[in-house]
Amino acid sequence: MSEESSTHFGFKTINENEKAQKVGEVFHSVARNYDLMNDVMSAGLHRGWKRFAVEISGVSAGGRVLDVAGGSGDMSRLFAKKVGDTGEVVLTDINASMLAVGRDRLIDAGLTAPALQCDAEKLPFPDQYFDCVCVAFGLRNMTHKEKALAEMQRVLKVGGRLLVLEFSQIWKPLAPLYDAYSFKLLPLMGKLFAKDADSYQYLAESIRMHPDQETLRQMMLDAGFAKVDYYNLAAGVVALHKGWKI
Amino acid sequence: MLKPLLTKLLNHLINQNLTAKEQLQPFASKSVNFRLPPLNVTLVVLEDGGLAIAGESSTPEATVTIPMSVALRLLANDEAANSLITLEGDSELAATLAKVLRGFSWNYEEDLSRIVGAMPASKVTSFGRKATEQVSAQAQNATASLTEYLREDQQLIAANYAIQQFLSDVDDVRDDAERLAKRLQKLEAAITEKLNKKPAA
Repeated sequence: MSEESSTHFGFKTINENEKAQKVGEVFHSVARNYDLMNDVMSAGLHRGWKRFAVEISGVSAGGRVLDVAGGSGDMSRLFAKKVGDTGEVVLTDINASMLAVGRDRLIDAGLTAPALQCDAEKLPFPDQYFDCVCVAFGLRNMTHKEKALAEMQRVLKVGGRLLVLEFSQIWKPLAPLYDAYSFKLLPLMGKLFAKDADSYQYLAESIRMHPDQETLRQMMLDAGFAKVDYYNLAAGVVALHKGWKI
Repeated sequence: MLKPLLTKLLNHLINQNLTAKEQLQPFASKSVNFRLPPLNVTLVVLEDGGLAIAGESSTPEATVTIPMSVALRLLANDEAANSLITLEGDSELAATLAKVLRGFSWNYEEDLSRIVGAMPASKVTSFGRKATEQVSAQAQNATASLTEYLREDQQLIAANYAIQQFLSDVDDVRDDAERLAKRLQKLEAAITEKLNKKPAA
């Protein structure tokens, strides 16, 4: 396998062409229990992190928002309330099973946002269309992160913001405890609650392979964002990056 | 979780002070560092005119330094203390944000009405306002009585007019002393001149 065509799938190295399919299988497998597992794994904290991301976005009524890898539609639901009837929120995900969960939850909440199955590396939207693009817990599953970031930058208007909410590097003194939680407890919880230990093993591994706060900040700057700031949440378990297109 | 909570609180207050949003919106994405030793906090203006605590990698466009002594004077509504606040960087941004923060008011009646309803909230806040006024009046009376006792009976502190009189007297003494020094200088000069003119025997 050549260096150029290989990528990470958790701790494994696989061919680039296989990653999307393998990640797809993982999310197809966890889609039904996705919300339950998120609440169990983060003790409900993921809801607060998502609300904070929406608060920080600076989106106001009438705004246009793109939710990339929106999965269960949590972010779309929060943004839809913020932009109101005059605004527009588009939910996208590469995985049909996850997108179906998100679309159904939006409908159940009485919201009508378009749900599109598409690849974040080839977004089917014109240049400078959105006021805000967000990707929550999705970037680490993308094969070519640089390409996806460049696409998100392309579809943003000048003055638009990209929000990346993603697992990151925890504060060093807590790392041993976090490792024990991730590699012992997480697969066990996956087995007990979702009957799928392997997918949650992948989750723990993919978090470790994801770029840390400073590396992701630099990647966003390289993708064309003029300014990038980040917030460490829960001692760095999660980081929220905000990039401005100026 | 401190940053999300403070950001939520800031935006709650901003939403109750709508003119603040209009004032801040032109400065979207810019941040200001407030130094009030030992506190040091950086705020960033959001695109909708809201406010948030800035992230870890933020580089502030302006800095506002308020020494503790000045902060105490500001709390006591001493307008003269404003001139002792140090502004660096984008002074228009820093001044606008400082002005907005000083003008913040908490509409607690509105918040309470969401929990207990409009009428009970109005009654509770009205009662609270009256109670605060009573406590404030009692405190003012007690302070006045204590001041009078210390000034008149114990003579431990001086009245303002007495201090002003004392300062005026000190000025008079200083002027008199300076005048006397000048006259002595003149006399010394005259004596020296006379001694120099006297022919040698």
